[in-house]
Amino acid sequence: MAKEFSVYMAGVGGQGLVLLSNVIGAACASAGIRALTGEQHGLSQRSGSINVHMRIGEEIRSPLIPIGGADAILALEALEALRYVEYLRPGGVAIVNSRVQHPISETTEHMKEKTAVYMSAKDVEERLLKITDKVSLIDALSIARSAGNALTENIVMLGALSTLDALPVPEKALKDAVAATVPKKAVDVNLKAFDMGKQAARANLCNLVKCRE
Amino acid sequence: MVAADVIRKGAGRAFMLCNEAIVRAAIESDVKVVSAYPGSPTTEILDTFSEVAPQFDYRMEISANEKVALETCAGASMAGLRTMTSMKSVGLNVASDSFYSLSYTGVKGGMVLAVADDPQAHSSQSEQDGRYFGPSAYVPMLEPSDPQEAMAFVKKAFELSEKHGVPMLLRTTTRVNHQSGMVEFAEITRKPFEKVDWEHPVGRFVTVADSARTFKLALLDRTERVREEFESSDMNTVTLTGSEVGIITSGAGYNYAVDAAKVLGIGPSILKLGTTFPLPTRLIADFVKRHRTIIVVEELSPYLEQNVMAVAKDANPSVRVVGKGSGHFSEAFEYNTNIVVDGMAKALGMTPPVDYAAVMTRATELKKGLPDRPPTFCPGCPHRASLWAVRQALKGVKHVLSTDIGCYSMSFLKPVEYGDSLLSMGASLGVAAGMQYAVKQKVVAMIGDSTFWHAGLPGLVNAVHHGDDFTLILLDNSVTAMTGQQYNPGSDKSAGERAAKPLVVENVIRAMGIEDITIVDPYDVKKASAAMKEALSRKGPNVIISRRACALYADRQKRKRGETIGSNRVDKDVCKKPYTCIRQFHCPAISIDDKDRKATITKELCDRCDVCAKVCPFGSIREREGE
Repeated sequence: MAKEFSVYMAGVGGQGLVLLSNVIGAACASAGIRALTGEQHGLSQRSGSINVHMRIGEEIRSPLIPIGGADAILALEALEALRYVEYLRPGGVAIVNSRVQHPISETTEHMKEKTAVYMSAKDVEERLLKITDKVSLIDALSIARSAGNALTENIVMLGALSTLDALPVPEKALKDAVAATVPKKAVDVNLKAFDMGKQAARANLCNLVKCRE
Repeated sequence: MVAADVIRKGAGRAFMLCNEAIVRAAIESDVKVVSAYPGSPTTEILDTFSEVAPQFDYRMEISANEKVALETCAGASMAGLRTMTSMKSVGLNVASDSFYSLSYTGVKGGMVLAVADDPQAHSSQSEQDGRYFGPSAYVPMLEPSDPQEAMAFVKKAFELSEKHGVPMLLRTTTRVNHQSGMVEFAEITRKPFEKVDWEHPVGRFVTVADSARTFKLALLDRTERVREEFESSDMNTVTLTGSEVGIITSGAGYNYAVDAAKVLGIGPSILKLGTTFPLPTRLIADFVKRHRTIIVVEELSPYLEQNVMAVAKDANPSVRVVGKGSGHFSEAFEYNTNIVVDGMAKALGMTPPVDYAAVMTRATELKKGLPDRPPTFCPGCPHRASLWAVRQALKGVKHVLSTDIGCYSMSFLKPVEYGDSLLSMGASLGVAAGMQYAVKQKVVAMIGDSTFWHAGLPGLVNAVHHGDDFTLILLDNSVTAMTGQQYNPGSDKSAGERAAKPLVVENVIRAMGIEDITIVDPYDVKKASAAMKEALSRKGPNVIISRRACALYADRQKRKRGETIGSNRVDKDVCKKPYTCIRQFHCPAISIDDKDRKATITKELCDRCDVCAKVCPFGSIREREGE
């Protein structure tokens, strides 16, 4: 029986979060692992905060991760990691895209105060470090661009997540699911993004937490 | 990939969204007519039916509203075909007039109405508890907890509907509809679509006066027959552990209750109700008799709780019922495992293993200064431009804005904060009619194209007839944008991409008797604003149509045609930091560069609508080239 694993996935509307949960779900299905999610659909606008509760385990019933119950937070945007910090369990791992998308509410305030600076990924990291020593910043946008498509940020982050030893989903199943989910002409660039995300995690995640060989 | 699992002929197993599992189940059940209007959290039922429609022979419409959708299903089910519709509970409010009557007349072909509530009002105007539709209309109601159960319950619902000649409610909540999980499905075997002969006696489906009284007695009998069947239905499950504590729950509540018991390390008995109207009262009585404490776990109103208490009054008067009435659970907002843990622990005098309140306090401290990110208009959204044009046009004019349901509803949120009232689909017009009697200022109503077709027409008819003095601003973005850009009566297509006749909104309005119609392009934002200003200065009822396709929809069309979307940039040498683009335009693609405090545009987010360039007083926003 696979070990239980809950990952709280957060991001900004338009970043492909639901696709990411479909990929992980499909990978679990092909590997014979039970998974369930609590997803956020409904308002189709871009640019709002969104989240997916992704849960893996034979016994879990609730699609929502309880407060303090996430083994990991996977944030496609840095501020969104902080927004849902209550879900992270003590000692859980935060894998955070260092990209910040400034919310318009912040920009509007920012405009009024000449000395103000935006909240940065570093600020987020510092705060997260107060509740866990396992915070990994991944520059997913740069990595996605060098993989060949800025839109593959989500798959870069999946590649990073895939290195975790605690994640009960085999890497091959994840990669097969990526290939089966994204448009045919984008398969190669997405698989490249996945591998590059993995490499990035080797450098600054696997020094903090047990990774797969 | 997802659609592939819905259309796969053979049996199998896949990771599916509950709403997709519902569709698969209906297809396996040989549904023949489908009609719906989108509404979260049911929208993916419509979307999936529409996407896979070309693979099957069911007839499908994206209806003008939920009432028409329900009636379309009613008509086909009266004839003898299996039908399905889906809507959110506020949609069933719209459809309820026919819904209540349909319970009287009944149906012949199986009819399933999937209705979903939205605890937490994630994307709704209220947290309405749709379960009360069951008892108030005498319509049997099934409540699944997960995608697999939803699949089984839909199939049962079709069978029960035909057996008892009654439409069936499949009631869910957001966390059931928007739950993905492993689903096992059966083979698809369908009969070819065939029209049937109408063979009912005259008046078979007519309910009024004498026939209504006859129907009423029959439906009371029917309800008792269904209740009897539910007493032994395998949709209700009893797990007896010998504990003094028993949990009664259903739907999403069941999931939280099971996990919460595990967190607390207790093993209560559980009665999981899958049939929540008519309730199996003997089954409940038997369960209540066996326990000293009953904990009822359900979101929203104390529907189960009050029924359980009514049963307990005779079955076990000394039983302690823990729920909302006892103060352990709230009627507000959606639950989670931790909420149920806290409620159960308090009731049982236990200490939860995690101090959730402390976790929240700590998190709140860490989040100090974290900016909010509410949903907002997409980059390129024509509504942003329309709202800019309207506000410029009304500068210095005291006015009141009666707005409606759609993406433009978001205008009341920060940082735009514009709009005075919002009730329900189409209500902007009726409310504006009342305001123009009562308010000294100019009255403006605002509605989108889909909402206008849905429930705006009678409001405008009324305004024309009475000469009500307000200006209607109709934001025509050509699709039902908010729920995912579905087609509407203004589209040249409907479900499954089949051709449809597009209605032209200005022709309809003109035919109603309004000559004063101003049509503007919000992307040509200054010209639009000037035209609006003139129109808004005239006596109503008159109409401004601001027309430009939804950016998400338009971008998808552009990508299909192989066109690039492009982006703008700020010419830093020209930018004098007036911040007009930020102060007045609020585009998520625009922020301030901390290095020089000048505006900057994020390439990946910009849609190149170019409206910000037109708004900028210094002309510092240009097309980004060669990057």
